[in-house]
Amino acid sequence: MRDFWRRFRRNKGAVVGLVILLLVVLLAVTAPWLYPASPWDMAGAPFSPPGEMGMLLGTDSLGRDVAAGIAHGARISLLVGAVSTAAALLVGVTLGAVAGYLGGFADDAVMRFTEFFQTIPSFVLAILLVAIFTPSIGSVVFAIAIVSWPPVARVVRAEFLSLRGREFVQAAEVLGKSRLSIVLTDILPNALSPIVVLSSLMVASAILLESALSFLGLGDPNLMTWGFLIGSGRSVIRLAWWMSVFPGIAIFLTVLALNLVGEGLSDALNPRLARQRGGAA
Amino acid sequence: MSLLRVEGLTVALPPGGDRPHAVEDVSFHVDAGEILCIVGESGSGKSISANAVMGLLPKGLPVRSGAIGFEGRDLLSLAPEAMRKLRGERLAMIFQEPMTALNPLMRVGDQIGEVLRVHGSGADAARRVPELLAAVNLPDPAAIARSHPFRLSGGQRQRVMIAMALALEPALLIADEPTTALDVTTQMQILRLIREIQSRRGMGVLFITHDFGVVAEIADRVAVMQRGRIVEQGPASEVLNRPQHPYTRALIAAVPHGAAEARATIATAPVLELRGVEKTYRRGGFFGARAVVRAVHDADFTLRRGETLGLVGESGSGKSTLARCVVKLVEPEQGTIAYHGTDLRPLSRAAWKPYRRRIQMVFQDPYASLNPRRTVGDTIAEGPVTHGEPRSKALERARELLRLVQLDPGAMNRYPHEFSGGQRQRIGIARALAMEPELLIADEPVSALDVSVQAQVLALLAEIRARLGLTMLFITHDLRVAAQICDRVAVMQRGAIVEQGPTSEVFAAPQHAYTRQLLDSIPGRGWTPPEL
Repeated sequence: MRDFWRRFRRNKGAVVGLVILLLVVLLAVTAPWLYPASPWDMAGAPFSPPGEMGMLLGTDSLGRDVAAGIAHGARISLLVGAVSTAAALLVGVTLGAVAGYLGGFADDAVMRFTEFFQTIPSFVLAILLVAIFTPSIGSVVFAIAIVSWPPVARVVRAEFLSLRGREFVQAAEVLGKSRLSIVLTDILPNALSPIVVLSSLMVASAILLESALSFLGLGDPNLMTWGFLIGSGRSVIRLAWWMSVFPGIAIFLTVLALNLVGEGLSDALNPRLARQRGGAA
Repeated sequence: MSLLRVEGLTVALPPGGDRPHAVEDVSFHVDAGEILCIVGESGSGKSISANAVMGLLPKGLPVRSGAIGFEGRDLLSLAPEAMRKLRGERLAMIFQEPMTALNPLMRVGDQIGEVLRVHGSGADAARRVPELLAAVNLPDPAAIARSHPFRLSGGQRQRVMIAMALALEPALLIADEPTTALDVTTQMQILRLIREIQSRRGMGVLFITHDFGVVAEIADRVAVMQRGRIVEQGPASEVLNRPQHPYTRALIAAVPHGAAEARATIATAPVLELRGVEKTYRRGGFFGARAVVRAVHDADFTLRRGETLGLVGESGSGKSTLARCVVKLVEPEQGTIAYHGTDLRPLSRAAWKPYRRRIQMVFQDPYASLNPRRTVGDTIAEGPVTHGEPRSKALERARELLRLVQLDPGAMNRYPHEFSGGQRQRIGIARALAMEPELLIADEPVSALDVSVQAQVLALLAEIRARLGLTMLFITHDLRVAAQICDRVAVMQRGAIVEQGPTSEVFAAPQHAYTRQLLDSIPGRGWTPPEL
């Protein structure tokens, strides 16, 4: 574990990313204390620029506090990112494990099913799903999970295919372990590193997807989100740039941080690859 | 004057290694027309010495002191440009792994031609390439020159590598374990080829190996390395037959002697009987021709209680597939695998489970056969726990087993990567023994190990077999190992058993032509290790 941390720290970008990410999490956790009032309430005069009337990041066209919106939006963005990634992992890992471990017909069936999802443009599918199920936080999470599991299934299948032939898995077969316990205790723990790396990137893309849906007005109408803030500020961007720019920066930093952390994790979990990359530079 | 003279060479290891220097104060010389073998176990620094001569040391391993003189020039002070010119032209090297040393996208002839071109004699390529391929005894050089590497066998590729190394008629050839990845019969051909070319051209050869049999076959002089130092050096006959240094003596004592002693015939009840087992792999179809490989056929044998049967053969002979058929890791299409009279072949996964306790397996690669994320104790206890034994009892037994395989019981809570290859193989054996099996299948259990460790593991297996009365199916490609441990041997070739019988009889009077060929290919057959 200490080794892991040492290798992670060697990637400076990853440490910066982790710090940003922790700050965003801190903001999300402390939002109810920082901004106890609902972010939907009017807090000052409409169109106040940042810094005026005690509004750190200004107010929007209805006088709502942009900073409060960002703080409360962080809760939703992180929540959607985490929950939809967890759901996508559950589906993707299960299907990938079945395909990779059993091989043969099961593999063919699962992979064709996966390709079926991959051929549909994911954003269009997400819009369609949210539109059908009426916008709510549940349907947004569901839609994001549905469009993001196929890459997980493919990665997990590839890992399982290569691990299945390894001698320690054969040894487990010879010991008479059941299939389920071989998959869970022998193969899965050794396939975790790519899954961990992939999921940090999936959280980032889930946050982007959620913002894009909210921007189009397909977010949960009762929840303040970053995408909604940008969407509502869009029509007055030449009058009041701060309404769209600050939530945009919040999304940018969070997604950047997650990508940096993902790369750091990948280096820390595959030390040999990282060293090669370092050596080539 | 010597062709190559290495004096007091010291190469540093990066800090944090197990010793400060990869090689320390190493001195040796190679004269024109002689073969110097550097022998040592893995990690002894023998390849580092060779790479230092070629100027191919990785950045992390700087030369601290010493001199390397070649044809009167000091190689260490040579500019990179001059060194590059020397490499290939005067100094050539062949590597261990012929499968990866050739560019897979380039025709073999072009790759050899490239060597000529780089050193400014590309105009001759068309004439020289077939000559060179003929010189390494490849049949139909013109056709070989046109083929891509994947069409060639391992032995053929190694010949191409040698042809490439010889292209510019170097004065010194460095061969780093050139036959380790090859089958015995191919190994013998390559050794003879190197010998022949060396005497024809009067080259000096620096030959790196871990195998004393190979040394006996090829060396004029020998240098023995241990932990980065040369501990003994001298003419081959001296070092092989009258070793002085304790380490050399230990290494030579560990060499399997290859002489099969007559053993009492075992006439107990059969434990395992294979009849008519066949496994065929089919590939392709759809487009192009279907490739059909008969991995196992005509391989009947009977294994009696308390007996050790050796399955010997070269890679691809089907010996591992046959062993895996017995434990259902491979499912054969037909035949019977009778264990105490019950046919195991048609049994389902669940019906097989009780037999898992009785039949266990030890795997070849100690680095791949243990789950890297599980502690040693859990690994050993896992089998009995799966079969319903309480965990505490299984762990207690694992502790005993570690003692049995001569490991410290403190190893229980550590992970496999903290152990050496030989220790891991002991853990693998303990895991198999935890089930208290009657039949142990050992699939090349010592081929990935150094010779001294190999001797320890073999001794351990022999002792455990005697103590627990195990019946053993022992798969190996090394006839010397088979001679040492097996009561009977079955020789496999292309999926079929071509000869079987008591070890001493098969070794003394082989009936099948292939068996004779295998026996003739044992490196160092003419050398009997001295009693030490």
